[in-house]
Amino acid sequence: MPQKRRISLRTLLSLFLVLVLIPATILLGVFVLQDRAYYFISLLLIVYTMLPFLLLFEKRKPQARELVVVAVLCAIAVAGRAAFFMIPQVKPVMAVVIITGVALGPQAGFLTGAVSAFVSNFFFGQGPWTPWQMFCFGIAGFLAGLLFRKGRLRAGRVSLSVFGGLATLVIYGGIMNPASLLMGSAKLTWGAVVTSYAAGLPMDLIHAASTVVFLLVLAKPMLEKLTRIQVKYGLLRESS
Amino acid sequence: MANYGFSSYHPAVNFLFFAAVLLFSMFFLHPVLLGISFFSALAYAVRLNGWRTLRFCLTALLPMAVLVAFLNPAFNHDGVTVLVYVNDNPITLESVCYGLAAAVLFSSVILWFSCYNAVMTSDKFLHLFGRVLPSLSLLFSMCLRFVPRFKGQTKVIAQAQRGIGLDPGEGGPLRRAKKGMHILSILTTWALENAVDTADSMKARGYGLKGRTSFSLYRFGRRDRAALLFLLALVVLVGWGALLGEATLQYFPRLSGKEITGRSLVLYGGYALLCLTPLILDAKEAVAWRRSQWKS
Repeated sequence: MPQKRRISLRTLLSLFLVLVLIPATILLGVFVLQDRAYYFISLLLIVYTMLPFLLLFEKRKPQARELVVVAVLCAIAVAGRAAFFMIPQVKPVMAVVIITGVALGPQAGFLTGAVSAFVSNFFFGQGPWTPWQMFCFGIAGFLAGLLFRKGRLRAGRVSLSVFGGLATLVIYGGIMNPASLLMGSAKLTWGAVVTSYAAGLPMDLIHAASTVVFLLVLAKPMLEKLTRIQVKYGLLRESS
Repeated sequence: MANYGFSSYHPAVNFLFFAAVLLFSMFFLHPVLLGISFFSALAYAVRLNGWRTLRFCLTALLPMAVLVAFLNPAFNHDGVTVLVYVNDNPITLESVCYGLAAAVLFSSVILWFSCYNAVMTSDKFLHLFGRVLPSLSLLFSMCLRFVPRFKGQTKVIAQAQRGIGLDPGEGGPLRRAKKGMHILSILTTWALENAVDTADSMKARGYGLKGRTSFSLYRFGRRDRAALLFLLALVVLVGWGALLGEATLQYFPRLSGKEITGRSLVLYGGYALLCLTPLILDAKEAVAWRRSQWKS
């Protein structure tokens, strides 16, 4: 019975988002905002896509054990980022988020990604980039969990590393580069977008390579530990 | 510095101020409003973080702003006043102006965020959202607490490893990296086991039950109400002015804005007052303190 209610709530929420809120935002942007339209529309769309995940988590009234395990994984991601802060773009956040998605499911993966990005910016500084980072890491964790559940992603070292490298390049790089462009330009041109990708590519490559290395080394032991804790205490067996 | 003047007001006041100022700063491309926002943000950042701010401006902010300023005319060829042709591409006056405005906008947003980071500490954030989003706030606060705790535990593990002859600081980079990963692995096991203990303890103390209260240091007093109403009034004033188009300057196809009338001056004044509120409140408190010392 609660399962059914949850799905209907989710459907309602997403219907409202897709049919009402998103078109309204785009119309508002086009007619009212003029020069700042691109930035605001995209920022609001990012926030809208994150809201259902976060609100559903809130609605579900999660158990203490579930909360604490997710908090531990976020903290490991953040502390890891802090440990490697002197080398730019070498961050284990993506690796930890992907491992979480695979081990604990898409929802926990999204949550770990979004919260890690948010919390780590309390140590490294919040800025206009925070919502974008939350979205990028969150959606990477969600995809990892979803693909694993659907049997498209194997939990082996190599397949996870390939997925991690691609996710970093395509999702993180793909979204963060034009996002920084949107902040300061009136309109998007293909030239500007391509240039932003080209300028960001070296950094993205380092980030992707570090994610691959982290996953190669960490994937197996971390997954084992997470499975062990799940079996031992019987927690976080997400059915959806 | 932390609990003084504006920072010592209720978190709701702090949050409203930053939400309003950040939103307006991301919107307004009118040169007068840009100037007001930028200089207020700069002054408040210097007040909060000292002269460190200026070094940050010169080393980090300026290069980024220059990049933003150049990016626009290089890729956006809208606008009617052509200044010069570069590789058959027109560089227009409008695009150059837009680039400069965007650079100032970008800098003021970053400066406001640096003030936000100093004033809206995580405990204030938690106090505000703890009631609206209890689970997410708890997740967030546990995470904040775990980070320093894990760092401390990492040191303990490293010492234990040294004790059994596996000094993580010894050997070549490869060996060291391997030991580092080993420590991370030990940390994970410890943290997960520890987490379950924490969770059981939370449950035993009634986590999620009705009627539990939470500790907080903040009181919403009379001066907070006054400040909140003052800020709200200014936000309404500025928002109203913006809706009337007083804050708009059309950049494309040619620079065109409304004439500056009395109404626009009211908007400018209101916006300046809004942006300067924390500095004014800080100054007020400093004067009061000075005076009380002088009396005794």
